[in-house]
Amino acid sequence: MQRFATRRCICGTGVQRWRRCLSQLAQKTEENEVYAPKIPSFDYSPPAYKGPTSEEILRKRKEFLSPSMFTFYKKPLNVVHGKMQYLFDENGRRYLDAFGGIATVCCGHCHPDVVKAIVDQTNQLQHSTILYLNHAITDFADALASKLPGDLKVVFFTNSGTEANELAMMMARLYTGCHDIISLRNAYHGNAAGTMGATAQSNWKFNVVQIGVHHAMNPDPYRGIFGSDGEKYAKDIEDLIQFGTSGHVAGFISEAIQGVGGIVELAAGYLPAAYSSVKKAGGLCISDEVQAGFGRTGSHFWGFESHGVVPDIVTMAKGIGNGIPLGAVVTTPKIAEVLTRRSYFNTFGGNPVCTAAGLAVLKVIEREKLQENAHVVGSYLKDRLCALKDKHESIVINFTFSYDSFIGDVRGRGMMLGVELVTDRHLKTPAKTEILHVMDQMKDMGVLIGKGGFFGNVFRITPPLCFTKDDADFLVDVMDYTMSKM
Amino acid sequence: MATQRNLLSRSLQAAKSRCRYHQSLRGISSASAPELPPFGYEPKPYNGPLADQVLEKRKKYLGPSLFHYYQKPLNIVEGKMQYLFDESGKRYLDAFAGIVTVSCGHCHPDVLGAIVEQSKLLQHATTIYLHHTIADFAEELASKMPGNLKVVYFVNSGTEANELAMLMARLYSGNLGMLALRNAYHGGSASTIGLTALNTWKYPIPQGEIHHVVNPNPYRGVFGSDANQYAEDVKDHVDHGTSGQVAGFIAETIQGVGGAVELAPGYLKLVYDIVRKAGGVCIADEVQTGFGRTGSHYWGFETQGVTPDIVTMAKGIGNGLPLGAVVTTPAIANVMAQKIQFNTFGGNPVCSAGGLAVLKVLDKEQRQKHCADVGSHLIQRLRDLQQRHDLIGDVRGRGLMVGIELVTDRKEKTPAKAETA
Repeated sequence: MQRFATRRCICGTGVQRWRRCLSQLAQKTEENEVYAPKIPSFDYSPPAYKGPTSEEILRKRKEFLSPSMFTFYKKPLNVVHGKMQYLFDENGRRYLDAFGGIATVCCGHCHPDVVKAIVDQTNQLQHSTILYLNHAITDFADALASKLPGDLKVVFFTNSGTEANELAMMMARLYTGCHDIISLRNAYHGNAAGTMGATAQSNWKFNVVQIGVHHAMNPDPYRGIFGSDGEKYAKDIEDLIQFGTSGHVAGFISEAIQGVGGIVELAAGYLPAAYSSVKKAGGLCISDEVQAGFGRTGSHFWGFESHGVVPDIVTMAKGIGNGIPLGAVVTTPKIAEVLTRRSYFNTFGGNPVCTAAGLAVLKVIEREKLQENAHVVGSYLKDRLCALKDKHESIVINFTFSYDSFIGDVRGRGMMLGVELVTDRHLKTPAKTEILHVMDQMKDMGVLIGKGGFFGNVFRITPPLCFTKDDADFLVDVMDYTMSKM
Repeated sequence: MATQRNLLSRSLQAAKSRCRYHQSLRGISSASAPELPPFGYEPKPYNGPLADQVLEKRKKYLGPSLFHYYQKPLNIVEGKMQYLFDESGKRYLDAFAGIVTVSCGHCHPDVLGAIVEQSKLLQHATTIYLHHTIADFAEELASKMPGNLKVVYFVNSGTEANELAMLMARLYSGNLGMLALRNAYHGGSASTIGLTALNTWKYPIPQGEIHHVVNPNPYRGVFGSDANQYAEDVKDHVDHGTSGQVAGFIAETIQGVGGAVELAPGYLKLVYDIVRKAGGVCIADEVQTGFGRTGSHYWGFETQGVTPDIVTMAKGIGNGLPLGAVVTTPAIANVMAQKIQFNTFGGNPVCSAGGLAVLKVLDKEQRQKHCADVGSHLIQRLRDLQQRHDLIGDVRGRGLMVGIELVTDRKEKTPAKAETA
């Protein structure tokens, strides 16, 4: 029997939270009579699965797919079916999907409205290209443009976030006649040649020539050198422009909340100051909304709105189609004109099926008030996670090791939340191994959570936006239970 | 619009068909216009926005750079096999297939069935979890490849596929310079624009170390069909334009966007040799020629008797689904394993299921053979037409990837741009 101890720090206002946490978690009795949290009920039975098993699939993956393809978990999970915020494995076991296929499934797996739109359109016309007219693309472009402020109303459809960011970067360079682009350290913008340059984490950067991108200091409130002083970080942009470029730049690209980088919210006050410097240098401001967009942050539809800025170009993907391969770039008519100098064409981009799905997604988000749900449930979840952070201040793994702290930081907004695990709260030493253990245990208990951050020590919580309070409770209880057992 | 007129030839890339072509009369008189072959299918009634409304919204929301065919653009609302229907229910023979993309036929029941079924089960989860469709599809695709080509990377378009191929070439070889053919088209992203060699598609941005070699174009090329002379140009570029070592060479076996231009026979064998001696890898862009379209072979590169190191594909791979792939050898794939290479949508269950269904349809319905049969019939008829019309300068291609070049002067080969439009 594993004996463990937790040291709790009960602060004044936190007491109520403790009581609720404790009441939901089993008290450790003398002889480990604990009950595990139960997944919220869900009135649905998945169809029986008769396909290949995990082992067969793994074997084929090893033989026929990229060797750099990774899976989560010691025993990779064979996910065969999804319904709203739940996923099912080959045995029909249900899991709470707290990752959403990486912030992608926003309406919910196999949401009936989205599936209907896809099926109906697929039965009608899958593909013809924009050489011919079709209303699906225009209806969606119209609806999408109506969600954006200012003069942002010309839409280019692509098939992924990478393609969208590549196009945005090219447009900025063409529009300004300059080549230098600034992005933030710890950013992720894609994996093609140009976007790999903008991406700024060595794990994702291959040893190939990547020109024309300058990486500015990351306004990371948790790990950054200036804490939460947004304006101090923005000075680095000024510096880069003055000393690293001709004084004129093509543009600046950033995520409002860094996704792959570990749910890092840009320090308050940063973007307005950065945008100002970039515009003074003639550059365009590109907002990468691939993860933060479509109501995920709860408080706003777009991540950039929470910073009080209006970009010149907005890129999006992932949630835009609830998982269908689709991306988009929205910009002003003036900037869009640069592409008339030559021809830009995307064979699959804007095809009837993907645009029909995209339109259905917008309608679902509106009708089911998913942005509001992201705000309400997301805030509730964040509060519970903060409480958990205060609780798991110290973990004793076994008799010889004792960690000073475990949850270093809880951050994010709406349903884009991050929980950073550290082995020392002061030194912020990343708990790289411990997180894997917790993640695995959580999976065994029925929660599929995401992981990210440069050190791989941040839990990423980006569920389908139909996530409920009960789901949030389950997630936190399982995390608590797992950490308590360590 | 201007860009369409820049296209030198209209490529007639006919959709694959189950039905036989109508045996039309030879020497048809102008009095009796040919009739569309019969087709026992009525399109669904269309109640959506009409052409004018759609066009107006396009102008407003899709940017001034978006172009379309025809003075009076066509509102295509439904497709069935090799036919398309407009807003009034009129049926058209689709001889372009959404740009060589609809391989099995619009809304082919098997492909449709696979897509619909999978969409109801799971659209997306990413490859961080297991799913059988991606593995099954990769296995089936790999089985269509010769040699040691059996590691598959799934992406979402031809552009993404060629971007990845270029990255692989540079990483594996440790060299920088890429060689591509003039008149080629390989993609629309900043880097693939570099490989692309048609000024219509090349924006004025830096494009890295890319050398464009003389196009082995039998009709317009300076050396006619003499592969040796064209290959010499490649050697010249390597010897004088690079350090002597290159990253790789990429080519379409039949240039699609460039006008259905078949590479001079024997060209690829010679060039592959030169490139490999210079440390480079050979990439075959099969985005348009793949999947049996050429009739004689499954892959375009097979018509030149070579085996590349990397093969890229898209378009026909999914009958219109946004899907692309790169297939390479384990040795090259292992170099990619140095860092994380991840594609969020790539290999998603729906596209993989659709792709697998496409491969099965192509096999079951013997589409490659069909391309050969119908294609050669079509080419023969077009050659007959060429005898009767001076406007037709050249008829070329193979299988159902056919090009007809219109010229106003057969000797000068002056492009008949206005006439084509």
